[in-house]
Amino acid sequence: MNTQNLLEVRNLSCRFGGLVALDQVSFTVLGGEIFGLIGPNGAGKTTLFNLISGLTTSSGGDVLWRGGSISGLQPHRLNRLGIARTFQNLRLFDALTVLENLLVALQRRPSCSSIASLLGTREHQRAEQLRLERAWQLLEELGLSQLAERQAGTLAYGDRRRLEIARALATEPALLLLDEPAAGLNPAEKESLCALIAHLRKHHQLTVMVIEHHVPLLMRLCDRMAVLDFGVRIALGSPEQVQRDPKVIEAYLGSGGGQS
Amino acid sequence: MIDNGLLVQMLLGALLGLSVYLPLAAGQLSLATPAFYAVGGTLAALLSTRWSVLGAADNGTFPWSAFGIEVVLGGLLAGAMALVVGSLVLRLQGIYLAIATIALVEIVRVAILNLPFTGGAIGIFGIPQPFASAAGYLIPALALLGLTGWICHRLELMPLGRAMAAIRDDELAARCMGINTTRVKLIAFVLSAMVAGSTGVLAAHFLNTWNARQGSFDTGITMLAFVILGGSRTWLGPVIGGLVLTAVPELLRPVGDARLVLFGLVILLGPLLFPEGLVSPALLERLGRIGAGDRSAPSAVGEQQP
Repeated sequence: MNTQNLLEVRNLSCRFGGLVALDQVSFTVLGGEIFGLIGPNGAGKTTLFNLISGLTTSSGGDVLWRGGSISGLQPHRLNRLGIARTFQNLRLFDALTVLENLLVALQRRPSCSSIASLLGTREHQRAEQLRLERAWQLLEELGLSQLAERQAGTLAYGDRRRLEIARALATEPALLLLDEPAAGLNPAEKESLCALIAHLRKHHQLTVMVIEHHVPLLMRLCDRMAVLDFGVRIALGSPEQVQRDPKVIEAYLGSGGGQS
Repeated sequence: MIDNGLLVQMLLGALLGLSVYLPLAAGQLSLATPAFYAVGGTLAALLSTRWSVLGAADNGTFPWSAFGIEVVLGGLLAGAMALVVGSLVLRLQGIYLAIATIALVEIVRVAILNLPFTGGAIGIFGIPQPFASAAGYLIPALALLGLTGWICHRLELMPLGRAMAAIRDDELAARCMGINTTRVKLIAFVLSAMVAGSTGVLAAHFLNTWNARQGSFDTGITMLAFVILGGSRTWLGPVIGGLVLTAVPELLRPVGDARLVLFGLVILLGPLLFPEGLVSPALLERLGRIGAGDRSAPSAVGEQQP
């Protein structure tokens, strides 16, 4: 396992008008680990993902990718550097088929000039063939191959969740950001998602950051985790350390404490 | 009932439909087509009359080669304009982009009306003819429509076209999938302008006269109707829409003034009866299945699976 600093968030802040969504948040994500992000609603978890994936610009601080600053880069540039994400409220290309959703994400693997594609040269045909093979591999891996020709908008909820992960994987990321991947899934589906994430990390040499409300699931899945509360990082460490942290207990249960 | 002249007009309509379709395929509602059409038409009118650098004859005829050069130049000029304008206005989204492109149409119209060399309100007339009759125009019109249709068809099968479809569905998600959406939208806009510019050149010679009214806002709405009636999910939609909606007012001539009412009804009822347009992907798939018949059983899924 490559345990170098893959991603470093340094004193990152984000303000929307008077609202402080993130306040001087710092942590590092090591290559190969599964890093959890928890916190009550409105803690700034999704804002943090938006900053890392380039959808929002920060008001202070820096994000480093393999040691170099990536603040202010466009989302497509960040994706090409190896950062892919899913969305809390699913954003598939609904009018396209499942297969086409993956082909969109695979369009640069391999890339081929538009002129060559227009003329249908052998280079283009070979690139298309590789894209199709890769897409089918991913569909098999995520158990979606039966649905390949279905419109993405017509899929069942659990399948849509998995298609989003497949689509993100198709861009061959080094870091995968999963925004509440288990939201809306039943307990059995949550279990299989857990197994899937562990499997994907192993087979795609992935580093995974995952936002999740279902704490027991994260406790089992994550190597380390950070806890956000009102935009402030209040804890960082292994699941056991975080679980025992008095500040975390207070944030979740209110002061006065109790058993967690 | 359909003579060669109307056929040429129908083909020009189909081309203009495709010009509106191209940005729309990337989710951008642009009504700039009349502006680029006007640029192409005006260029052709000038090059073949006042600035006869390409060698117009004085007996009202025009060499084919010069006509061909004009078609290419019209496309290139409109495309270059679109490159500049697009990089500014494509930052706008939805209705704001539509309004900005309407403003462009107005600017071009007023410019053509007032420039010292474009003939003012009367415009430029006596544009020389490369062909002896309307039938002659069928060849370049068909060729241009064939080329444009082929490009649109190829787009559906290649990464650029897929990126356009993805942007149309969810631009933000497309950006996160590594698609340079600014670039893709700009390419669609430039292609659209090139089609409109070349079509303008054809139209100027065909109509024999050109003035600022040819590229006005309301012609833009008619072009949009081509796409809405025909369907915007596949390139055949705007082609069918452009052919049909150009023919309808002419074919309705016998009913007199009521034809405009009937034309309006077609535009109103079309989207109500066919919300996806006359030509939808589902329809094409069904036709494909009928075409394939029972000879070949495997579905598209089976064919693509390795």
